[in-house]
Amino acid sequence: MTTLRYILRDTVRLLVRHWFLGILTLITAAAMMWVLGLTTLFSLNVRNLLRRLESDLLVQAYIHRSSKAEELAPAVRGMDNVASVRLLSPDDALARLQSRMGSQARVLDLIGENPLQWSMEIRVKTASEIPHLVRTLMAMPEIEDVIYSGMVVERVGAISRVASRAAVSMFLLSIMITSLVVYNTIHISLYSRREEIGIMFLIGATRTYIAAPFVLEGTFLALAGSVISMLGIVSAYFPGIRLLQNSLPFLHFVGDSGVIGQFSLLLVGFGATLGWTCSCIVVMRFMSAAAKPL
Amino acid sequence: MRIKFSGVTKIFKPDIVAVKDVDLDIAKGEFVYIVGTTGSGKSTLLRLITREALPTRGSITVGSVNLRRMRAGDIPYYRRDVGMVAQDFKLIPHLTVFENVAFVMEAMSVPPKMVEYRAASVIEQVGLWRRRFMRPPQLSGGEQQRVAIARALANSPSLFIADEPTGNLDFRTSEEIVKILLAINAAGVTVVMTTHNQYLVDSYRQRVVELASGRVVRDEHAGRYADDDA
Repeated sequence: MTTLRYILRDTVRLLVRHWFLGILTLITAAAMMWVLGLTTLFSLNVRNLLRRLESDLLVQAYIHRSSKAEELAPAVRGMDNVASVRLLSPDDALARLQSRMGSQARVLDLIGENPLQWSMEIRVKTASEIPHLVRTLMAMPEIEDVIYSGMVVERVGAISRVASRAAVSMFLLSIMITSLVVYNTIHISLYSRREEIGIMFLIGATRTYIAAPFVLEGTFLALAGSVISMLGIVSAYFPGIRLLQNSLPFLHFVGDSGVIGQFSLLLVGFGATLGWTCSCIVVMRFMSAAAKPL
Repeated sequence: MRIKFSGVTKIFKPDIVAVKDVDLDIAKGEFVYIVGTTGSGKSTLLRLITREALPTRGSITVGSVNLRRMRAGDIPYYRRDVGMVAQDFKLIPHLTVFENVAFVMEAMSVPPKMVEYRAASVIEQVGLWRRRFMRPPQLSGGEQQRVAIARALANSPSLFIADEPTGNLDFRTSEEIVKILLAINAAGVTVVMTTHNQYLVDSYRQRVVELASGRVVRDEHAGRYADDDA
């Protein structure tokens, strides 16, 4: 308890003594965590939009008249990447066609017998897997034809891949910059106190006692930066998506406060962990060099 | 605390021989001056005792501990029993006299009340009570050295190492410092002090070990001085 009290007092002393450097680190960490948070939110929203778009994509499979549609549907349902299968009877298909044609539906009466056949409306989980599903369906003897919006599928798949890569790259870049900033701050803090640290070693202070205030300083700065950025992001996010939703009502953004709450906690936790890890690495490296006998 | 050097050689890379084949036995409670010219190996000898340096050959035993075999984790606990004073004082400039002394005990997790009592006691012992709230840059060289001594005494060490403690001080202040060290020694603490000051060595006679090019070239006990005088 006594040691903890001294360590906390020394941490406060460090923060006060290097207040300017501390503020600079805090601002930089906050800015970097802000970029990290925005990247994550952007990525979450892009993935959400793509998932919705993908789930809206339909593959239409037409079944041979000689085949039994009810027996085929469970087999298709069991395929990988199939989200749902809806069986459409010729009568249902005709009714839908009539409703779509509106006043021109009378033309269909001229045909007489219903020319439509059994079909399946298949929804997929991932757009990029549609070509593979189509190939599998086409290989089945019961299936006469398969129709899907190929171009849209491919584009959506490509956008999804690019967006994922961009988000991961930005995420990694933000982590790298934040780590470097925290690392350098603690290094400067240690370097400016190198004589003091040397004296502490000579008088018999343990490594843990010497290192702890520096590690706490780095963790605190990164944590405080994360909290500031999280508050900034969350306070701007909900009004922002409301505005976008009004202008682009067909787009669906992540607006669940539970998800955003989890995201906020993760951002703050990640910031603190990052600060702690960087501080530990720099302090241990510095201590090892300082304690090495001549 | 007894100190025993057995065939100790210290070579700094690439090939600087700081200490060569030193055999030395310092008894518990003894006061020893280590003398010699600059570069003769005096400071290295002290660094070997404080375990800031490791011998290239030979062994050093302090008390019952062989410093060469000491685990890294045990070094802080060993150093707590060794008081150290340097020529450049090694005080923390932004801390007050009181905080500089208290800091040593805090690093050892001594409870605050005990820290206060003990720090006050050693500061008084070196005659700096009225200066306790001043910072090292506000003090004279002699006063700073006395703060360093107070700090070294804070943990009641069994061994006291002083590397040129009078190096930057005038004659009168140097005498005061040596008198303080003699008082510490009188309490049973082993004191090893390096110095250039021949006057002090002659005036306050104790055992003298002289180094030249890293070798012990003279080892005279206080008794022999007395015999010479007779």
